[in-house]
Amino acid sequence: MDFFIQLFTDPVGFYNQHELLIAQIGINAILAISIFVTFYSGQLTLANAGFMAIGAYTTVIMSLYLPTPLPVDMLVGALLAAAIGFLVGLPVLRLRGVFLAIATIGFVEALRLGVILNVPITGEGQGLKNPSADPLGGILPILISVPILTYLVWRLTHTRLGQAWAAIREDELAASSNGINVPAYKMVAFVISALVAGYAGALETHINFFVDPTEYSVTRTIQILTFAVVGGTTNVIGPIVGAVFLTALPEIVRQFAAYRDVVNGVILILVIIFRPQGIVGRGGLAIIAPRWWTRWRTRERVTAAH
Amino acid sequence: MSALLQLTNVKRSFGGVHAVDDVSLEIEEGTIFGLIGPNGAGKTTLVNLVTGYIRPQSGSIQLQSSPPLAGEGSVGAVELARRPPHAVAGLGVARTFQTLRLYRNLTAIENVLAGMHLRRRDDTLQQLIPVPAFLKEDQRRLQQARELLERVGLPPERFGERRAATLSYGDQRRLEVARALALNPHLLILDEPAAGMNPAEKDRVRALIQQLNQDGLTVLLIDHDMRLVMGVCRHIAVLNFGRKIADGPPETVSQDPAVITAYLGTQAQKTAAHVPGSEEMDVATTSTPASIEPASPLLEVRDLQVSYGAIQAVRGVSFGVAKGEIVALIGANGAGKSTILNSLSGVLRPHSGGARFGDLDLTTAPPDRIVSQGLVQVPEGREILARLTVRENLELGAWARRNGRSAHRDIDGLMKQFPILGQRRDLPAGQLSGGEQQILAIARGLLAQPKLLLLDEPSLGLAPQMVDTVFDVIKRIHNDGVTILLVEQNALRALEIADRAYVVETGRILLSGTGAALRRNPEVQKAYLGG
Repeated sequence: MDFFIQLFTDPVGFYNQHELLIAQIGINAILAISIFVTFYSGQLTLANAGFMAIGAYTTVIMSLYLPTPLPVDMLVGALLAAAIGFLVGLPVLRLRGVFLAIATIGFVEALRLGVILNVPITGEGQGLKNPSADPLGGILPILISVPILTYLVWRLTHTRLGQAWAAIREDELAASSNGINVPAYKMVAFVISALVAGYAGALETHINFFVDPTEYSVTRTIQILTFAVVGGTTNVIGPIVGAVFLTALPEIVRQFAAYRDVVNGVILILVIIFRPQGIVGRGGLAIIAPRWWTRWRTRERVTAAH
Repeated sequence: MSALLQLTNVKRSFGGVHAVDDVSLEIEEGTIFGLIGPNGAGKTTLVNLVTGYIRPQSGSIQLQSSPPLAGEGSVGAVELARRPPHAVAGLGVARTFQTLRLYRNLTAIENVLAGMHLRRRDDTLQQLIPVPAFLKEDQRRLQQARELLERVGLPPERFGERRAATLSYGDQRRLEVARALALNPHLLILDEPAAGMNPAEKDRVRALIQQLNQDGLTVLLIDHDMRLVMGVCRHIAVLNFGRKIADGPPETVSQDPAVITAYLGTQAQKTAAHVPGSEEMDVATTSTPASIEPASPLLEVRDLQVSYGAIQAVRGVSFGVAKGEIVALIGANGAGKSTILNSLSGVLRPHSGGARFGDLDLTTAPPDRIVSQGLVQVPEGREILARLTVRENLELGAWARRNGRSAHRDIDGLMKQFPILGQRRDLPAGQLSGGEQQILAIARGLLAQPKLLLLDEPSLGLAPQMVDTVFDVIKRIHNDGVTILLVEQNALRALEIADRAYVVETGRILLSGTGAALRRNPEVQKAYLGG
C-alpha cells in the first residue's frame, strides 16, 4: 500500500526511490513489444532472450574495445540482433505452433551454452564488466524509447503490413489467396521482433554493471511470454500492461517477495482460466468473467424463457 | 473472345489415387464456367492446382494475363503451375474456399481490407507518420472496402464493424466473395459458394454470380447444386474419378449418359430412358408417406431437425425402419443424409424432434449406450486405423465387449466369412484397397453385434467392381438377420438392394417409396441433376 500512497502523494520521491524498478519496467515493456510483434503475426516464437543477449553483448564488447560512442554501439547491437534474426528465421520460420516455439527455445540455449560460454571475447560465462554502465543516466533513454516504440508498433498494426500480419494470424491459406506473401511477412515480423529485443538488451546494459549470461536463458524468454499472455495480445497495449504489472508486482506485495515465482505462477494460471484473452483483451480492459460463467448464464436465460 | 484460362493435360495423384488425371479445359473470357462432379471427383484439387496450393505433376495451366496486377509486366500467356498461391493471386486469380476461410476475428471491413493487399501501394512507412494526407489515403481505401461489401449485398453500415465469425452463414459466404473481389481479379473461382444454403439463399447467390458476370468478371463455379450450376453457366465440365467425362453447354451435359452414370450409379441409363409417370402408383410423396411406413418400426424418427451453428442441415425429417428391412436414404451431396445418421448414433445431438430405437430415446442416450443396445454406425470414410493391422482393428472393434473369448471367436468367424480380411490379417489396414477397408469397417461394426447397422456411403470413392463386392457383403449381412439403414450417393445401386428408400434433398425428404419404384422414378434423377 505504501507503494501506491507514495506514488500519488510524493511522485518525485517515488521516482528517486524506485528508479531501478522503473528502468526494469521500461526494459520489460520493450521486450513485451518485441514478443507482441511475432504474436500479432500468429507466430509463437520464444527467441527474444537470445536476441537480447546479442544486443547486450555487442554493445558491451564494442564499448570495451572500440572508441565508438555508446548510441552507435547500441544501434549496432540491435541491428546485429535483427541480422541474426533473419538468418535464424530462414530455417526456423518454416515451422508452426509448438514446433516453432521449441526451435526458437533451442536457438536461445544454443546461443548461450554454445556460443557465449565458449567464445573468449564474451568472457566465457564469467560475464563482462560494462565500462559504460550508468544506472541513473540509463533511465532516460528507456523512458523515451517505450512510448516511441509503443506508438510505432501501434501504428504498424494499422498499416498494410499490420493487416497482412493479422490475416496470416487468422488464416495462412486464405492470406495467400489474397496475394499476401506469407513467408516473407512472417520473416518481417520475426526480424522486427529481433531488432526490438536486441535494442532492449542493449538498453539494459545501461543499468547493469555486468552482463551475465544466465540473464539470457529460457527463463527470461518464458518471463517475456508471460507478459504477453497475462496482458493479452489483441493490441500492443496488452503485453505492456502485462510487463508493467508483473514487474511491479513483487514491489507491491513485498511481504510475499520470497514467493515471487509462486505468485507469478498463480496469476498466470488465473489469467489463463478466467481471462484467456489477457487483461487487455478484446473488448477493452477486463471485468473478470470467465467464459463458462457467461455460457452458464445464457443457458439459464434460455431455460427460463421456455 | 479468347481462353482466359487454359489447362492442358494436368495430372496430380496422391499416393496411388489419381485425384486429377489428364484434365484439359478452356475457360472463355467473360463467361461463367461450371465444374461439377460427384463427391471425390477432384474438383477442389483442380482449384488448388490452378491457385497454386498444390503443384501438378505434369501438364500446364496457362492464364492470359492482360494487364498483370503485380509481378512481371509481360502481357500474354503466363504459366501458373509451380507458382506459389500469392503469386497466382498477383496474376489476378481470386478464389473462395469450400470450407469457409474468413479471418474470423477480424471485422467484415478488415477482411476486405486484407483482401485489397495487392492493389494498394505499400505505404507502410508513410503510415507510421500521422500526416493528414496519408490518413486520407486510409479513408479512401476504407471507402473502397465499403463499396465492395455493398456490392455483395452486405450493407457496410450494418455489417462493416461486425466480426466475421458473428455473421450468419450465408453472409459469411458473401463476405468471402467480397474479400476475393477486393483483389480486383480477372478470374474468380467459387468453390461451392452455395453449400449448406437454403433455396432462398441459393437464389441470392445465383443473382450475385450473374451480377458479377455482367460486370465483366469471368467466373469458375464449382457446386453440387445442379439447379444452380445449370442455371447460370454457359459451359460445364464434368469430372469423375479425376477424369473429365463431359464438357459442353448445360443442355448436352445433363443428357450425357456418362454424366448420369457418374451421378446416379451404374444403372442410370435405363432410368433415363424410362417413360415418366408409369410407376406413380408405387410412389408416395412426402405429404402422404403413411401407406408404406412400417407399423411397428425398430427405428422411428419424428420431425428430426439438426443444425450446425447457423446452417440447418436437417429440416424436419420423419421415417421408420422395420426389423429385417434394408432402408436407403439417397440424395445428392450435402442433402443432410450423414447428418441424419450421426444424430441417430449419438455423435450429433438434434436440435428438435424425436428418434426412438426400441425403448431407447436416441436424442438423449449416450453413444456407448446406443451401441450396446444394438444400433451401430459404420462411418463415412471408413475411419479405420491405418497403422494397425487388420486383426488389431477388429480387436479394437470388440473392445467394448465383456466376453473376450466370444469376441475372439467372432473375429475368427469374420476372417472366414470375409476371406479378403483373413488373408490380410497381419497387414497394416492402411495398405488395404479402399473397398477392402470398407469391408473391414463393416466387419468391425458387426463385432458390436448390431441389430440395426447404419452404413454411411459404403461405396464412396470405390471402383465399380469393388462397389459390387461391398454391396454383396451388405446383402449377406442382411440375410444373416441384421436390419440395415444405408446412406448412399450411388442411388441406383442402393435402390437395387433396398426394400424401401427415402430421397433426401436440402434436409427434407422429397420422395419415398419401395426401392423398385424409386428406381424408375424420374424425380430421383432430378433430385441429383436438377430439373
